[in-house]
Amino acid sequence: MILFVGLGISACAIVPQTPSSPSSPPSPSAEPAEQKSEQTTSLQDDSPQAVASLRLTEQARVLLESGKVDDAITTLERALNVNPSNGQTYYYLAEAWIKKGNPSQAREFNRLAAMYLRDDPGWMNRVVDQEQRIGTR
Amino acid sequence: MTRKKKTSFKKRISGFAFFLLIFACLGLGLYCWNLSFQIDKRFSGRRWSVPSRVLSDATLLYPGQGVNRALLQKKLEHLGYRQCSHSPARKGEMRSSPSRLEIFLHDIKTPQHTREGFPATLQFSASGIESIVNSRTGQPVPLLELEPEELMLFFGSQREQRQLVSIDHVPRHVIHAVLAAEDSRFFDHRGIDPLGILRALYANLRSGDIRQGGSTITQQLAKNYFLTPERTLTRKIKEALMALIIDAKYDKKVILEIYLNEIYLGQKESVSINGLGEASTFYFGKSVAELSVSEGAVIAGLIRAPNFFSPYIDKNRCKARRDTVLEAMYKHHWLTPDQLKAATTAPLALAGYEAYVRRAPYFMDYLSEQLESLYPPEALTSLGLSIYTTLDTQVQMAAEEALSKGLKRLEDANPRLKRKEPEKKLQGAIVVMQPKTGYILAMVGGRDYGVSQFNRITQARRQPGSAFKPFVYLSALDSFTPASMLSNEPKTYTIDGRQWRPDNYSTVPETRVSMREALSKSVNRATVDLAMKIGLDPIVNTASAFGFSTPLKPYPSIALGAFEVVPLELARAYCAFAADGVLPNPLSFKDVTDEEGRILERRHMAVQPVTTPAKAFLITSMLRSTVDQGTARSLKDLGIHFPAAGKTGTTNDFKDGWFVGYTPEIMALIWVGFDDGSSLQAPASALTLPIWADLMNAIPHHLSGSWFKAPPGIVVKTICKEDGQLAPASGCPESLEEVFLAENAPKETSNLHQGLDPIEGVIKFVRELFKNF
Repeated sequence: MILFVGLGISACAIVPQTPSSPSSPPSPSAEPAEQKSEQTTSLQDDSPQAVASLRLTEQARVLLESGKVDDAITTLERALNVNPSNGQTYYYLAEAWIKKGNPSQAREFNRLAAMYLRDDPGWMNRVVDQEQRIGTR
Repeated sequence: MTRKKKTSFKKRISGFAFFLLIFACLGLGLYCWNLSFQIDKRFSGRRWSVPSRVLSDATLLYPGQGVNRALLQKKLEHLGYRQCSHSPARKGEMRSSPSRLEIFLHDIKTPQHTREGFPATLQFSASGIESIVNSRTGQPVPLLELEPEELMLFFGSQREQRQLVSIDHVPRHVIHAVLAAEDSRFFDHRGIDPLGILRALYANLRSGDIRQGGSTITQQLAKNYFLTPERTLTRKIKEALMALIIDAKYDKKVILEIYLNEIYLGQKESVSINGLGEASTFYFGKSVAELSVSEGAVIAGLIRAPNFFSPYIDKNRCKARRDTVLEAMYKHHWLTPDQLKAATTAPLALAGYEAYVRRAPYFMDYLSEQLESLYPPEALTSLGLSIYTTLDTQVQMAAEEALSKGLKRLEDANPRLKRKEPEKKLQGAIVVMQPKTGYILAMVGGRDYGVSQFNRITQARRQPGSAFKPFVYLSALDSFTPASMLSNEPKTYTIDGRQWRPDNYSTVPETRVSMREALSKSVNRATVDLAMKIGLDPIVNTASAFGFSTPLKPYPSIALGAFEVVPLELARAYCAFAADGVLPNPLSFKDVTDEEGRILERRHMAVQPVTTPAKAFLITSMLRSTVDQGTARSLKDLGIHFPAAGKTGTTNDFKDGWFVGYTPEIMALIWVGFDDGSSLQAPASALTLPIWADLMNAIPHHLSGSWFKAPPGIVVKTICKEDGQLAPASGCPESLEEVFLAENAPKETSNLHQGLDPIEGVIKFVRELFKNF
């Protein structure tokens, strides 16, 4: 049988951490219903890249909390380059741009955060809350 | 009368002399006032022109990461790490074996990160870094950063290199060494030292030759800082006056600090090494604060004749001079006998230096253009800025090597591609970017910068050919799906009264092909068929949205990329497919800081959506078929065993060969061609895929082997290959899985194979299978 596809539909997508424990190891997620097959998957949550990226995200979160917004953004960009499907990175990028007073950039990053964190209810609550905060600006 | 006259004359003379004296004093006062003004002006303003530095991005290492040991080793050497046979005990030392690297890291001070150097051990496995441990504490290190590499200095006309140091960071023994060598009574005299002059005079008379100068540090500073080098009495007087004024007006510590930053201490090719800070790095690869007694004495000994006593020129002569300085230090009770013994027996551990070579020259030109709008050239040559770029030197080295080897390989395989004149030779260009952030990791704008500085990534305008097709297919995704069937029948189009009959580059026997097949196998007729069905304006609109700045006309040939683009813009547009439909801004630098490390300028990734994540995913999915089964399938034989998407591009008469390939983490564009548009006599796949494969195989640290996660709005359906409708539950001999946008996924079940006898189905399948061989 000539099989073309099954491309990139991941059964084990990287799952972000819960909001309450940003640096704790992520947990596996449920398989999305429409996914039928795969040849390869997106990054596993315990892959070296995912772990390194989450560490950078955590560093960025600390920078963000200490008011070093630009340093946080640069660190988040590094996190994204290491693991482009790290959803938390988008969430914190949106936070950073809220702090920088740029709601249109924040909105775009929030949209991407919602896309990458959609399988994590805990993070999705935060993403929705963030969206509302951006919406009022 | 005569006596009276004489007295009166004498009085007049003495009166005149008195006035003359008053006048001379006044003149001298005015002159001194003027000198004082000059000194104040110079001391209070910017004291030196310090060239701005261009730095690479910092390198991140972590357990589990792929690694190219050879490139990592080169990078460490560029960063000034030296191989040693013992366990590294000082910053900058390393010891490597096939399975491990022990390294004593340098300090890091970047806008984001400050870290003191520490010893670390990296253990390697066949696939990459197995572990990283702090050798001092035994603790694992989850993320290790290597300091940015200095790539270029923006020199002014004087070509001086200098790192400024504060007197508070200069160790006592280094100050003593300088005083012992040049002016031991510096803290006791008033700018000039009569005792020193007498001593020098006596020494010179005894030897019958001029051996000692007797100039104080303050006089030397006045000479270097304000005066021209000629040796005249007037200049000597001026120098002495200035020294007196400087000493009267400024604190000794301030004078010494300026002197230590000013002095000339050697030569690195055409660039002069000035000041203690730069000399410490140049000779010993360390900061001034880390200099040992022996090293301090070496540098102090250089002041008198930097190139004569240079350890790079004559180690023995340098050692003898060092020992003289050490003896003088001992004589002034600045060293104990034990310290003297230890310092005189210490070996000279020189840092070694690399000859200046132009690193990433095309990237530097591009960067300079970007900086031009921010800083005038004179600011770059004098303000000592640090420009932190996005360049990854390992990727840059890999790209340069892949291109150079690839072009030579092509010439060797086909001698008709060889040209005698260097400026007419086969050319190529590469740009590597991180799709999400737009960071430019590497840029090679041509084969040899020495021959041609024309940057074929940023300045060239070339037709993209089939490499443009993804934008045609993207424009059709509202009404077409990857399973939609397109016509591959030969067809003639009439454009402005002229006949145009597009043809395929290779034989495609089917009269109808699916959109996925048409894109992955780069079928021209089917692509033009699609373009004519959706109309040409949507294609022009898509191209404009994706940032192509060159003029696009709605001619049918646009479907086959028959208009010129800037290669960097094509690379950027492909990034959007790998970045959920977000078009990144190509970034060449992230931060610019001043000498003190304060941020002056920052660049961040910007988010500009140009298509939906679902549509971007569909294009990526089809471009993966290009690599798996289509025109780029030979990548598998070239060692590419990780999932990748990409598109080849060949233009009319084989004038251009392209491949743009990407993974979730990295995108690389390869172009090969002649500047004068001569034919390459081969399709793009043969020209560019080996180069792309060489590049990717050399940079495992940017590859995870992962693939894209399907975004919301994507569904997978099992369909009948022949009509693109849902495969019946009873079975379909030609079913396959296909991805769709949820809104235009097939809803009807195929009835093509209803009632088909199972045996008949198998026979049809086998017949179909053999048709493909």
